[in-house]
Amino acid sequence: MLVDNEQILEALWETIYMTSASFLFSLLIGFPLGILLVITRKGHLLHNESVSKVLNIVINIFRSVPFIILMVAIIPLTRLIVGTSIGTAAAIVPLVFYAGPYIARLIENSLLEVDKGVIEAAQAMGASPIQIIFRFLIPEALSSLVLALTIAIVGLIGASAMAGAIGGGGLGDLAITYGYQRFDTWVMVITVAILVILVQGAQSAGNLLSKQVRRR
Amino acid sequence: MIQFEEVTKTYLSGKQEIHALNGIDLTVETGEIYGVIGFSGAGKSSLIRTVNLLERPTTGRVLIHGKDILSLSSSEIRKTRKDIGMIFQHFNLLNSKTVFHNVAMPLLLANTPKNKIKAQVNDLLDFVGLSDQAAKYPDQLSGGQKQRIGIARALATNPSVLLCDEATSALDPQTTQSILELLRRINREYNITILLITHEMGVIREICDKVAVLEAGKVIEKGTVFEVFTNPQQPTTQRFVRSVMNDELPPSLLTQLQDPSRSQSIYRIQFSGASVEEPLMSRISRKFNLDLNVLFGNITELQGEPYGNLIVEFTGSHLEIQKALAEIRSGNVKVEAVQQYAS
Repeated sequence: MLVDNEQILEALWETIYMTSASFLFSLLIGFPLGILLVITRKGHLLHNESVSKVLNIVINIFRSVPFIILMVAIIPLTRLIVGTSIGTAAAIVPLVFYAGPYIARLIENSLLEVDKGVIEAAQAMGASPIQIIFRFLIPEALSSLVLALTIAIVGLIGASAMAGAIGGGGLGDLAITYGYQRFDTWVMVITVAILVILVQGAQSAGNLLSKQVRRR
Repeated sequence: MIQFEEVTKTYLSGKQEIHALNGIDLTVETGEIYGVIGFSGAGKSSLIRTVNLLERPTTGRVLIHGKDILSLSSSEIRKTRKDIGMIFQHFNLLNSKTVFHNVAMPLLLANTPKNKIKAQVNDLLDFVGLSDQAAKYPDQLSGGQKQRIGIARALATNPSVLLCDEATSALDPQTTQSILELLRRINREYNITILLITHEMGVIREICDKVAVLEAGKVIEKGTVFEVFTNPQQPTTQRFVRSVMNDELPPSLLTQLQDPSRSQSIYRIQFSGASVEEPLMSRISRKFNLDLNVLFGNITELQGEPYGNLIVEFTGSHLEIQKALAEIRSGNVKVEAVQQYAS
């Protein structure tokens, strides 16, 4: 095997770092966007045709660019933000652009599942839009939101492995440079196995958390 | 008091204009239980939603305690809504929260202090008879219990008006009965004005003081429950009344009535109020030497007043029958020949 344990551990750490950092930033962008997507819909809390239209178009544009292209396409922007276009930190920028709109859609989906009647009851109680979002919509959708975000994390683990293509580091990088380009089958097997475990772990944790927040 | 003044509601469904409300004029007095009945699509649900502006009328005015709510700003509307409780057919409770939290919600929204919330919620749960369920979640409760939670929640802000949107339509008859009793208690004990919509005439008979019949976005008939039930004018109203009063003659009886010699001496006698208590039949029978045979009948109570409906066959001399009918009519009793029903 061409790599030692230390390299693998470092790559694992880089993957976890990339995934969690980009998840956090994506959530910061995706969550408000998701809420906005829902409440500006027709017949919802703050129906606004133009905001809804623009938002949908922009999100669809980002969602339609494959990650590998997106990564390369926004290199100038990455340079502007991080100062470089290579390395783990640089990989976070395209990851956020990839996962932010994705999370917005997932959140939209979850929030749309909330019974319209609950929102009507909230309005009848004299709740303000902010109160309806935070005291009715989000709590009622929380369990489903957790599952949706788990999907996003799993997606990010996969995408972060792809970031290896621009020298982003992490398990994907290791698999490509040693496993693929230098024909080291063992490195390939081990990195893939670790990725599988990571995804399984994330999914199980998500399922558990979702169950726990169903009733609070 | 709730007043609707020429309220219309029009919305677009595709390219077609739908007139959900077509000029509604209605006044609900303070302390009344007012029922609006209609088939689905009649506009009931739009009508009740204009009271708290869940739906905004296209034209017209809605006044609550004399104030036109359409002129209010959105924050004033929210304030007004706290004075108007609402319960729903499907309860609309938060499934992720406990019973306690659900009832506390309106108070939490108003930033009520915690210890006050606790005392008030416990009182409310006590009032609806569910104090032992506080820690449960809605999906652990029966439909009737959920509606009680809905009622407790609606009362949390001490409203002066309660809107009931098909509140018993998803419940079985027995549970419906107990929820209606609870609504009546709310009306009596707190003097809360209740506006309810329903498609069940039984609900109207059970608790309403007044009723309006809605059809195609228009009030086609309105009045006290007693008036409307004993003397329905419109065909739709008559259908609704029949659904609970059952004054239809059984088919076997109708065949017998085909015989003209017989049908001439069969009459429908409708009596109400005090006239029920009088032994009218036996008195008439003795006085005019007639045999009276009750073929069909029922007696129900409307707003605490008895109301009876009998199909009676008179046997005896023709002259005496006419005299008897005249005497019956002189009281507070309606008599009509049955032929018209036989057709």
